Parts: sequence; structure tokens; C-alpha cells
Amino acid sequence: MYQKIALAIAFSPRMEALIAEAKRLIEIFESELVLIHVGLKQPELEAKLSEILEAKGLKTTPVKTIWKEGKPAKMILQACEEEKVDLLMLGALKKEGIFTYYLGSVARKVIRKAHCSVLTLIDPQATPTKFSKVVINGTQLEVTPKVIAQGLKFCQAEGAQQIHILNEIKLYGLQMATAGEGSEDEVNLTRRKLVQDEIKYVQEILDGLDQSGLKINIKVTAGKWAIELVRYCEAINADILVMGDEHGYTFIDRLFPHDLEEILSDLPCNLLIVK
Amino acid sequence: MESLEHKEVINLLLQLAAMLLSARVFAEIAQKFKQPAVVGEILAGIVLGPTILGMISPDSFTYLFQSNPSANLALDGIVQMAVILLLFIAGLEVELHLVWAQGKSAINISLMGLVVPFVLGFTFPYFFPTFFGLADGDKILFSLFMGTAMSITALPVVVRILMDMNLFKTKMGMVIVAGAMVNDIIGWLIFSVILSFMGKSGNLSLMSTIGITLLFTVFMLTLGKGLLNRVLPWINKNLAWPGGLLSLSMAFCFLLAAFTEWLGIHAIFGAFLFGVALGDSDHLSEKAKEIIHQFINNIFAPLFFVSIGLKINFFTNFDLWLVLAIIVISFAGKIIGSGFGALRSGFAKKDAMAIGFGMNARGAMEIILGLIALDNGLINETLFVALVVMALVTSMTSGPLMKWSLRKSPG
Repeated sequence: MYQKIALAIAFSPRMEALIAEAKRLIEIFESELVLIHVGLKQPELEAKLSEILEAKGLKTTPVKTIWKEGKPAKMILQACEEEKVDLLMLGALKKEGIFTYYLGSVARKVIRKAHCSVLTLIDPQATPTKFSKVVINGTQLEVTPKVIAQGLKFCQAEGAQQIHILNEIKLYGLQMATAGEGSEDEVNLTRRKLVQDEIKYVQEILDGLDQSGLKINIKVTAGKWAIELVRYCEAINADILVMGDEHGYTFIDRLFPHDLEEILSDLPCNLLIVK
Repeated sequence: MESLEHKEVINLLLQLAAMLLSARVFAEIAQKFKQPAVVGEILAGIVLGPTILGMISPDSFTYLFQSNPSANLALDGIVQMAVILLLFIAGLEVELHLVWAQGKSAINISLMGLVVPFVLGFTFPYFFPTFFGLADGDKILFSLFMGTAMSITALPVVVRILMDMNLFKTKMGMVIVAGAMVNDIIGWLIFSVILSFMGKSGNLSLMSTIGITLLFTVFMLTLGKGLLNRVLPWINKNLAWPGGLLSLSMAFCFLLAAFTEWLGIHAIFGAFLFGVALGDSDHLSEKAKEIIHQFINNIFAPLFFVSIGLKINFFTNFDLWLVLAIIVISFAGKIIGSGFGALRSGFAKKDAMAIGFGMNARGAMEIILGLIALDNGLINETLFVALVVMALVTSMTSGPLMKWSLRKSPG
């Protein structure tokens, strides 16, 4: 599924854990690993890196390390393009300070602009465990069929136990208020139809896909989908959230957050953006 | 505190009962004919008012609606509150996140659907003010009002049509809904500036009015919304539900309405913006929204729509040519404008036309706008009647025309 996985590293305390997580994934997907570091190439850093790689048992597999100088987000993205990376992994803070958020942190910049899929880990572990509870965004968007398809493949490779696909009823309150002009039976009918329509949408996407070995739960909510996703992930203590990315975001979108931005402002769990 | 006398109380209660009863009967009839409830409610007012009841049985009309000034004053207070609440739910319906998600095409459709009718609505009254019935006052203000009155799409009517046609969740449906939402906000922004000039309290200069209006809008949509996001979870958790939310949201709706009225931009604007901020907040559940909607839509909205017919004689103030002129201008402006906007955003010709017809529905907002202008002496009763008829005609034809344009072979 992913032939080349890249990991952005920064010699932070979390680097070891991130490398351990990356190792787990390249073993699952049988992919090559590329490490990207933005900063001056120094002998002591190189020595430290090779020490960690050895400790993690990555000395035997071919690991390519790319050193770049310049603006971090831009350089990471450039390296991904040059190396034709399929999946970029990086660590991210759960919540950024207000200034970093508005001015843009490296992780969030990369998520917004990357051309390949991005996996952000908010709590990488030195001895990683697999993602067992997965939430997939099933709201009606152009990218959703692709997101669900890729999400299922990811879960199959990963051996995830429980998959929740979340879809929401748009403008539920307004629709129900409008339907309230009908009789009691009509109102109940509308209410049921609204829910069933959303289940049907996800079901129709699922019908064309290989679901072997997966336990899938379709859940319908009402409200803004991004907020509902965050709440649901927090409620069930999800390990990873899989979603797509619609279009380029600008500063205006951060001022009036919606969709992806709403999730980026407070990451509920690890996040896989399918592109 | 003064209070109503025994017979005044009886009169007020009879008024309310008559209004709600007739509104319900006519709304049901309207729905049998697949028409929005608003249409029936306005007709109920015309039947109950001087136009029909006043003609057939002047005594009972006088007894019911003209015998007790104090009861009428009390009724006027209730109707005023109804208008503020209507604007509050109009704001609640605006979901900014949906607008942002629809992006450029929604902005295109709504801006073109705003500018073209506005320009047409401005130009004709500006050059033929006597035909359109400029009462007294400023010609520019009058034309600006006419422009605005032509350009606000009735969101609830559109939602109903889209749901009936099973188009609500399609790309076209979402674009129409988002377009109507943008329309609402910009329309009310312009109107509140116009209002501050015709109002009695308008002592601000043009620039400071625009400045304050914009500042207040931006404040409500950023900091105001942020504040709500913090307060709402606490309210939901610690106070009665939905009681706490309902009474507090009403309280703040009235508080902000009072604030904007004090500023010199009309009370309804504060209620509208509070509605937008509250509706856009992350913590107002859809269930709560539904409850607020139901209770305003079914109690206060009918009172307001019926009250229109009570105030004015639709028969003596009916000017066929004026009505036709207004209808032609409103149809042309909205359909050409929104349709062109849709074409520009890459919709096929027949879809673009359907979008134009969909955006053409006018309703409550035009009527509220017209009523305020009437109260402030900017327009006369004949023009007001023409505007109400225009709202009725556009609301009634929007659905059938959309169906017709989508049924045609692709053009």
C-alpha cells in the first residue's frame, strides 16, 4: 500500500519513539524508510541518529536519511516530492499555543499542503502498539469513497479490531424544523429517512469494497461533521482518525475554522490524512 | 406598572386565539397545495383583516381588532417580539461552516444573486420614484431600500423545496443553501445601514454607522462566538436542559437586540447576529436548534404573518401595474443574477437555471424589511402590498419552476 514511508525528525525527545513507530509501519507495509531532517548536517547528530537506528534494529534495513536546510515545512514537503514518498509520518502536539496556531506550526503546515498521505502521531511510544480502534470520516464529501477505501486497506494491513465510520446529517435541526410542518407520522418518517439516507450512503461505498476480517460500525450523528468526529474519537478513546482533505486552506479558514481546521485546532488522537 | 382591564384582557386573548386559529387553518390548506406555511399564514391575516372580514362583517372586525387601544398596544408588543425572534432563528439557520465548505461557487452565486437584483431594484425606483410610490424622504434611501428588498432569498422556503425535491444534499442543494445564507448576512448588513438613516435615533454619520455595523458583525462572529463556545458547555452541563439554554438564549437575543437598537442600528440586527453566532457555535446541539425553531415557527411566526394582513387593506392598496413591475424586476434580477453566478462556477445551463429559480424564493425577510420601511414612512401601503404579493408569488413559484427547469432536456 505504501512503498515509501518518510519520517520527519527533529532530534527532539520524542524522536526515538517516532522511529520505533515508523519501524513498526514499514514492517507492516513492507516499505522503504526515508528520514527527513531539516537543519545542518553535523557529525554528532549523525552519530546520535545511527546509534538510535541501531538500538531500534534498523541497521540491517536500508534507511535513507535526507538532510535539508531552510524552512522546515517547505523543506519536508520538497523532500517528499523528490523522493516520491507515499506516506509522510510526523509528530504533532495535541494542541498548539494560540500564536503558533494562527501563525502555523510545522506539522499543521505540512498537513495542509502535503501531496502525499500524512500520518501525525500525538503520542508516539518507544514500544509501539497497533491501532485497534479506528474512526473513519464517512461524511458526504467528494473524497469520502477514496478515504473509506484506503482506510479499510490500512485497517486490514494493521489488523485493526473495530472500525467506526461516522457520517452526519447536514443541518438536522433546520431540516427537522421544516419537516415539522407535516403531521406526526410525516415528521417521524422524515426523521427515519434522514438517518437511513446517511447509513445507505456509507453502505453503498462499503458494498464495493473488500471487508474481510473487519468489524465495521456505521454511526450517524447530527451537527458539524468535524466537531462530531473529534467528540466521537474522544468518547470511544480512538487510536487513529482517518480522513481526507478537500482543498487548500488559507489564513481565513483558520480565522473561521471549519472542517479539517476544526480538527487541527485540537487533535483528538493520531490522524491519518488520505490524499 | 399599569395593567390591562378585564375586558381588554379578554380582547387580547381573543385576538391571539383568532390569529393562531386562522393561521393554522390556512397553513394546513397551503400545505395541501404543496405551498409553504408562510403563504397560508399571510393569507389568514388578509382574511382576518380589513381586506375581507372588514368588508363582510365590519362590526366583528371592529370589535375584535379596533375596540381597545390598550389591547392593541399589547398585541403590538407581542408582534414586535415575534419579529425579533424570527430574525433570531433566521440567524440560527445561517451555518457559516457550510458556507466556507462550499467555497467559491456559493460566494459567486450569492454575490451575483445579490448584486443584479440590487442594481435592478435600485435603478427603476431611482428613475421612476412616483410610479413606485416614494412616500416622503430621500430618493436614494428609497432606491437603496428597494434594491435590498429585492435581494434577500428566503432560506426556510428554499430548504423546504429542496427537501421535497430530494435535492437538499446534492451539490446543487448545498450551493443554494449556502448562497442563501451569504445573501441573508450581506442583505441584513446593508439594510441595517439604511435603517439607521431612516430611524428616529439615527444620529451617526454614514461612515461611523457602517464602521460600527461591521465592527459589531466581526465581533459577534469571532470573539462573540468564541465566548459562546466557552459558556455553552457549562450551560448544557450545569443548568436545566433544554430550559436553561432556551431561556438564556432568548435573554441574550433580547439583550443584543436592545444593544443594537441603542446603537441606532435596528434591534432585529442584534437578534440576527446573535442567532448567527449561536448557530455557528460548536456546542449548540441540533436537537436544541430544532426545539427553538419549532417553538418560534409555530407560535410567534404565525402571529407576525397574520398581523401584516390586519394592518393593511390589501384590496384598496392593490395596484396591479406596480405589483407586476415589482414581480418582473424581482424575477429578472434574482434568476439572471444567481443563474449567471452558477454558470460562472461551472454548473450546466439547466442546473444554473434551477439554481436561479431556487434562489428566487422570497419570504419573511422582505416582509419584515418592508414593514419597517412602512413604519418609518419610507414607503407607502401600496408599495408594501406589492412587496408582500411579490414575496408570496416568488415563494409559490420557486418549487414548480425548479422542477420544470430540471425536467427539461439538457440545454
